[in-house]
Amino acid sequence: MSLVDKNNQKLLIHKDMDSVSLKHSVEIILTPEFYTFISEELDIKFAYQAKQIAQSLFDDYLDSSHEYQYHVSKHGESWYFYAYDIKEIEAFLESKGIEAHRVSKIYFAQELNIELTQPIKISNQNVLISIDDTVTILPVHLIGRDTEFKTLDLSKVKLHSGVSLGASHNSLISLKETILLSSIFVILGTIFIIEGNRTTASISKDNEQLLALLDDNPSYSSTAIRESILAKYKPINRVERAKRKTIKEISKLLSAKSELSTLHIEKSKVLAEITTLENRIINQITQSAKEKHLKTTVTGKTIKVEKSL
Amino acid sequence: MNMMTLQRYKNELIILITLLFLMFSFIYKNAANTYVHQNKMLIQKQIMELNSIKALKEQWGGKQLANKLKVLKTIVSNSKVALFQKKSKKLHASYKDLTGSELNKLTNKLINIPVQIVQLDIKQSSKNLYTMELKCKW
Repeated sequence: MSLVDKNNQKLLIHKDMDSVSLKHSVEIILTPEFYTFISEELDIKFAYQAKQIAQSLFDDYLDSSHEYQYHVSKHGESWYFYAYDIKEIEAFLESKGIEAHRVSKIYFAQELNIELTQPIKISNQNVLISIDDTVTILPVHLIGRDTEFKTLDLSKVKLHSGVSLGASHNSLISLKETILLSSIFVILGTIFIIEGNRTTASISKDNEQLLALLDDNPSYSSTAIRESILAKYKPINRVERAKRKTIKEISKLLSAKSELSTLHIEKSKVLAEITTLENRIINQITQSAKEKHLKTTVTGKTIKVEKSL
Repeated sequence: MNMMTLQRYKNELIILITLLFLMFSFIYKNAANTYVHQNKMLIQKQIMELNSIKALKEQWGGKQLANKLKVLKTIVSNSKVALFQKKSKKLHASYKDLTGSELNKLTNKLINIPVQIVQLDIKQSSKNLYTMELKCKW
């Protein structure tokens, strides 16, 4: 009998087993001492649906002080439900010198059902036997004396439905919380990226406009050149506009009873002389000029209007 | 870290990866904001400068100004134009015996042409008659 396959890839785990020393990964097959098994014919299509009801199926069979994990698999019309305490299994494996990280996959001895046409003696005290298609462990003394035991070669056994040791642990965060949190993070992240892209795009239009202007006027690409040109034209623009505005303001001071004697414009000053014969008109002109921020000096019937630019 | 550990903590890993995605996208958004904040003002200032230069040069140094100034010679009768001398980008013009309305027309025309008025002298020579001397450049 071989309870360890020739390549040391599979190992049958039972309570009476000897300690082992491993230098490579193994797949373990748990005997029913480590799990509770239920087979049910249910109208269920998918494994996740079966897993959802697994806990309720075991309600009456399990010790509530333990924390159980569940595994399901479909065999023909029946669903196989397994409940196991991974902490207990890990502790046992450790006691037998099997480090948890060496265990690549966990299988259940129920999968050996087809192989168990005859019982298998797994230790001096116990045999592994299939009764009514359920693999179980029985004490040797309950088996008839003339019963022949089968030799099981694990290397030839095909196993299909196993769980990894890592996956069998309860995660610190539940799947529901994981989906919820990761969805929120992904949505927020996407919003941030879209917002970032929109922000960047908002400047690209200005950037394109600037590049187009610089393409049309490559000589203005230097800030110093631009500032020097502006320094030349801005004062011209300001002073020339002021000269024209002042001429218009002075022309508005004139009426039928007053006339322009002189108007002189030089670099930064506008001077005008208006003559009138009536004192009332002098006052009117002086008042209007004041409102327009023009400086006035009255000499006899002549009003001198002045503005510095 | 072996596959078993990865499988055991796959939920935590998924959350960690999506959290990292969130953090990087937040950093990207902030970096984009900072970049735009720093550059938008600068780009807009440059655009404004370029547009100002273009507008100012066109207004106060336009190539058609010499032609536009011809109107200052034809707006009054030839006999009243004592001098109309255009040299390089400068104009020296002198008018005599301008009536009030002619002076108004001439002045209105002048202030609507974007040249730099270097000197403008208007003097009343006799009742309702004026002389005008103009020096301008562009």
